[in-house]
Amino acid sequence: MIPDAARHEWYPVAMLSELAPSFAQDTVLLGERLRISRDAPDLPIRITGPDGARCAVATRYGHLWTSPGGPKAGLFEIPEAAQPGRRFVDCGAVRVRCSPLRAVENFLDVAHFPFVHTDILGAEPHTEVERYDVQVREESDEVWATKVRFFQPMAARSAEGGIVTDYAYRVPTPTVALLYKTCPPRPEERDVIAIFVQPLAEDLCDVWPWMALFDDTTPQADLVQFQQMIFLQDRSILENQIPRLLPLDPGLETPTRADLTSVAYRRWLKKRGYTYGAQTVPA
Amino acid sequence: MAEMSLIDSEMSPGWTAVSLSGDLPALTVMPVTVGGVDLALWRGGSGVARAWQDRCPHRGMRLSHGFVRGDRLTCIYHGWSYGAEGACLRIPAHPDLEPPATIRTIPVACREAGGIVWVASGATADLPPDLTGWAPLRSLTFAADRASVIAALGARDEAGILHTAAGGTDLAVLLQARAADEITAHVLVPETAGLAARIGAVRWLETARRRAEGPGPRGIAA
Repeated sequence: MIPDAARHEWYPVAMLSELAPSFAQDTVLLGERLRISRDAPDLPIRITGPDGARCAVATRYGHLWTSPGGPKAGLFEIPEAAQPGRRFVDCGAVRVRCSPLRAVENFLDVAHFPFVHTDILGAEPHTEVERYDVQVREESDEVWATKVRFFQPMAARSAEGGIVTDYAYRVPTPTVALLYKTCPPRPEERDVIAIFVQPLAEDLCDVWPWMALFDDTTPQADLVQFQQMIFLQDRSILENQIPRLLPLDPGLETPTRADLTSVAYRRWLKKRGYTYGAQTVPA
Repeated sequence: MAEMSLIDSEMSPGWTAVSLSGDLPALTVMPVTVGGVDLALWRGGSGVARAWQDRCPHRGMRLSHGFVRGDRLTCIYHGWSYGAEGACLRIPAHPDLEPPATIRTIPVACREAGGIVWVASGATADLPPDLTGWAPLRSLTFAADRASVIAALGARDEAGILHTAAGGTDLAVLLQARAADEITAHVLVPETAGLAARIGAVRWLETARRRAEGPGPRGIAA
């Protein structure tokens, strides 16, 4: 039984560049089988649920999106996706045996960089996480963390040497997270990196990374390989957290000041009643 | 705490052998499972073996994936370090913060005796079984249930220790149930056993394992 709060969100179910002009294939979303098809190249993509009902379809940000219960609103906006000069990189899915919510929470965390992405996104002794700002923006009902600063030995494929990177994080929907970070070749702009998470089950997900960068020189294969390396390092963590589901109630885990984004994310999920992939204490 | 009662309920009472001492070198950590309960077994620079629930209190990461420096076990996820008594001593994200005393790992009783590392659920006043005269040989994991392992070894129980003989060499066997159908046998030989006898005993044990596991996939063996 899928909780209502989960049925009405938008989810990625495929990478557009991988779909043939006409095709039919199955995927799984929230434990239910979906049929995705396009009968002819000039026809729209059709998505049908297990009962044969048509589902909402959106094709944006390099991916195919759907909402099994019908969306409450249109797909969230990523203004940078319309900005001239950006290069869009879709990377393909990384399947992770973990809660989709744990995958998002890990993406929002900088404190693990020196230990999990050693000498790439962080390195000892530069482990300190300074105070940053977290808020739920009322007008959009999104979690935002801003003024997150962290020392990075190799912040991006295009970086040369260590820099203090400025980050901002944005959670527009429970299984999507974006980050905005210092763009080494264009100091006035920010690179955008996102994860679009497709929940297959409460403890299994496909993570679709997507990037919108100012980088005209790095070969596509190198950009994808860099993201693959980072996400495979994250997977070794995500598949070894106990419990697999994300605890929404305080007590089982111990946050500190560096975890403010995680605390806000968990509270926001709880307030929305988004419990798919979450562990809640029985009342 | 809830975690403690989990260990109490699922681990059998008394001491369980979980490793030969020689298989846990200084400055290492490894996962062990007893009755479905996952533990991080580690040895710091001071040489003392310790067993904790395999879970960092911060974000639930398995501590057995971490690393040991000096007499501290450090979680691989965010580098939180725990001292010998289980208290969190360092949170790298906040280098100037003294971690609150409430942040602790959950310890399990752990002793080392007779060349074996033992763990027990809850507090136990007893000592691990006396193995004077015996020397650790090797550990061997069987994909079989306890009764099949005992039958394949032809072992008899004497005061909590299984005894059998491999050819002319006596063996003492300590069983660790990781799960109902996954049993690790920690095997000892008499201290006086020579090299040829020890090699012969290892070959004999491997034959016994094949016998216990049967010829086909699990469950098909007679």
